[in-house]
Amino acid sequence: METFDLLMQGFSTAATPINLLYAFIGVLLGTAVGVLPGIGPAMAVALLLPVTYSLEPTSAFIMFAGIYYGGMYGGSTTSILLNTPGESSTVITAIEGHKMAKSGRAAQALATAAIGSFVAGTIGTALLVAFAPVVVDFAVSLGDPSYLAIIVLALIAVTAVLGGSKLRGFSALGIGLAIGLVGADPVTGQQRLIFGQPLLVDGLDIVVVAVAIFAVGEALWIAAHLRRKPMQTIPVGRPWMGKQDWKRSWKPWLRGTAYGFPFGALPAGGAEIPTFLSYVTEKKLSKHPEEFGHGAIEGVAGPEAANNASAAGTLTPMLALGLPTNATAAVMLAAFIQFGIQPGPLLFDSEPQLVWALIASLFIGNTLLLLINLPLAPVWAKLLQLPRPYLYAGILFFATLGAYAVNLQTFDLVILLLLGLLGFAMRRYGLPVLPLVIGLILGPRAEESLRTSLQLSAGNISGLWSEPVAVVVYIIVALVLLAPLALKVIHRRRPESVLLGNIPQAPGETAATDDDGSVANGDANGDNDSDNDNDKDHDKDTGSVLPEHAGSSGGGPAEPAGRHRSDEIQNERERS
Amino acid sequence: MSIVVGYIPTPEGEAALERAISEAASAKAPLVVVNSTRGDVFVDQRFVQSDAAQALDSRLAASGVEHILLQPMGGNDAADEVLDAAETHRADLIVIGLRKRTPVGKLIMGSTAQRILLQAECPVLAVKA
Amino acid sequence: MKQLVSRLKGRSELGLAALLGAFGVIVILDALSLNVPYSQADPVGPKTLPYIVGALLLVCAVLLAINVLRGGHGEAEGGEDVDLTHPTDWRTVVPLLGAFVLNIALIDTVGWVISGTLLFWGSVWALGSRRYIRDGIISVVMALGTFYGFYLGLGIKLPAGLLEGVL
Repeated sequence: METFDLLMQGFSTAATPINLLYAFIGVLLGTAVGVLPGIGPAMAVALLLPVTYSLEPTSAFIMFAGIYYGGMYGGSTTSILLNTPGESSTVITAIEGHKMAKSGRAAQALATAAIGSFVAGTIGTALLVAFAPVVVDFAVSLGDPSYLAIIVLALIAVTAVLGGSKLRGFSALGIGLAIGLVGADPVTGQQRLIFGQPLLVDGLDIVVVAVAIFAVGEALWIAAHLRRKPMQTIPVGRPWMGKQDWKRSWKPWLRGTAYGFPFGALPAGGAEIPTFLSYVTEKKLSKHPEEFGHGAIEGVAGPEAANNASAAGTLTPMLALGLPTNATAAVMLAAFIQFGIQPGPLLFDSEPQLVWALIASLFIGNTLLLLINLPLAPVWAKLLQLPRPYLYAGILFFATLGAYAVNLQTFDLVILLLLGLLGFAMRRYGLPVLPLVIGLILGPRAEESLRTSLQLSAGNISGLWSEPVAVVVYIIVALVLLAPLALKVIHRRRPESVLLGNIPQAPGETAATDDDGSVANGDANGDNDSDNDNDKDHDKDTGSVLPEHAGSSGGGPAEPAGRHRSDEIQNERERS
Repeated sequence: MSIVVGYIPTPEGEAALERAISEAASAKAPLVVVNSTRGDVFVDQRFVQSDAAQALDSRLAASGVEHILLQPMGGNDAADEVLDAAETHRADLIVIGLRKRTPVGKLIMGSTAQRILLQAECPVLAVKA
Repeated sequence: MKQLVSRLKGRSELGLAALLGAFGVIVILDALSLNVPYSQADPVGPKTLPYIVGALLLVCAVLLAINVLRGGHGEAEGGEDVDLTHPTDWRTVVPLLGAFVLNIALIDTVGWVISGTLLFWGSVWALGSRRYIRDGIISVVMALGTFYGFYLGLGIKLPAGLLEGVL
């Protein structure tokens, strides 16, 4: 009941005209960046961070939440109309969605995506309301050793489970942690890594780092590989659905939601696995399995719902524990730090008004998104007429402006350029950017917990596992690190349970050629989780010399397909 | 010796193509169809791709005229591409399509058409849609 | 020597490993230079995490170098608007960086309106637009718009530079 009252108060904060205005701006911007290739919600929030300095934090976060949800809607529009899967995991939506659009059912595909996103987003947010306070209650009861263990789990999970190469993930994590060290040590005041630069004593401004990595690095990378060919779009009318479409859509929406939320809430869940699971499930349960691969509406409805529900799920660890699990959540946490708000389990107690207004605004934003996306889809598609030079020059322009406006220091622009070049090099050599940003955000907090823990145990290292929860979490960490190995052994013994996949190519023209849509064989549902990890693991070890993997490149007959899929997932993930 | 036509999938472009095909047929000259894009926009509706390009190709084949379909993406203006094609294929005639304009619109005649008219070395036939 | 050169060819990724290694060394050297007495209240001290991070970076650097020498390579990141079929286009990137550096050099002396105009115009040019006049007008509008937008909307006074008094 208490939760309900708090939520209602949140609604009253979020429904003030000024906050409604920011929610509206947020969903408009979010949809726009979702539609535009080359710019995503993480970059958009990073670019807006400096501008929001002078705003009320509540208004700023309401706008960010709108951008986050809006990016999902806009992303599905482009994946259906252009077959360039946009945000983190609209890859799966694109399979059936683009086929539907090609056979003249673009309107229905867009409608089931938008309405499914609305349904899943609303249910997902309701689940967030139900679960976040429970998680908080649990988390507040934990001591520093357990909290440290959870942070370590988050760091390791994001680094080791997501992405293609563990080695490169850990390299990126190391760079992020090192950047987090810069500045005066909060306990002793000792100055670390400042190289005699007085401007570095306060540490690198997290806004400048986020803008450099997400905006400058990305814009330079795209500029280096600019696509010179226009993409092919499918003209679209106003989205609508017939009675039959509703009948075929509503169950996939609900099942997709059920997959999406829990995966989003896990430290390394993300949206790729649930959208994939949803696709496989719908294909199996469908009364029209023959339509899969030629534009089955269930194949759009389910994954799209899973995608949005996982977005809501991601907010649970972010708000309740202060743990980011994707790029947008990481940038939003950076925003908390910028506003001087300490993210973590105490957030619900220290900033109840902000948190509940933010959650309430998710419901409002979701409804606004449905209203602006259904009738206006053709208008959004017009955004694609924007010339590329203006978009990418604009990103650099606003990145510079924002980084400069933070402190009005040219020094920040030099840092922006250097870190932007680092971001460029990371993309060039396949270092994922997410571990860097998460290391940067969580590193200082991990250090603080480490020091408090050992202070309590008077320097005795056993203080780190003095709490049962900490022990359990460290066991999970060990499992995360060792599971791929164990699975590889099983995988070798049971080659029959591998993934027989054929998922369409990554964004771009190749995907338009042909994909028969057969994604997995019969028992993929139960097994593919593990197979998945396994395949990814193979992938990261291509040519790797980590001793435990040396020479273990063997695998089932379907390995190339699996590898391909994880490549693609990795690409998607890093970009989001 | 050839006929060059600038093509875009609009009524003007269709009109120009129709006329160019019949000109080529009667002159028994090869037809060079130029459909270009600057490639700086995400989506260029005036650029013909895959299905539509095939349809265009088979339509040209059906007309029985010897033809080439050029789709340059070099980042140049359409006018440059048409003029280039006219030069390399030593065109006798360039066919372009023009929109009907209101009296005011006359003042802002499309710059592409204008440049072709002014810079072409051979006769230019402007077809109204 | 020749053999070494041929082995190094096409392995620019080794530069990345070297960079990681350099980061690791810097982090550890910096931590060594800290001078803190042991304190009962803070048994961990400010040096522990830098040692861990430095070690992580060094290990990654070594493993990455071995990986690359054995023929491994990182997958360049794809994207919605990224075409990996052609190599890095330095003729776009270098002018883009030039516009960026020019802005850094000029912003404090000539002011944001002029340096921002040059930044946007230069970037658009680097990215391949050749409509000089339209680009120029848009650049000026962007720079002026953000100058007044930040001043009036956010209360942030960007440098006016040469145009001090005019704006």
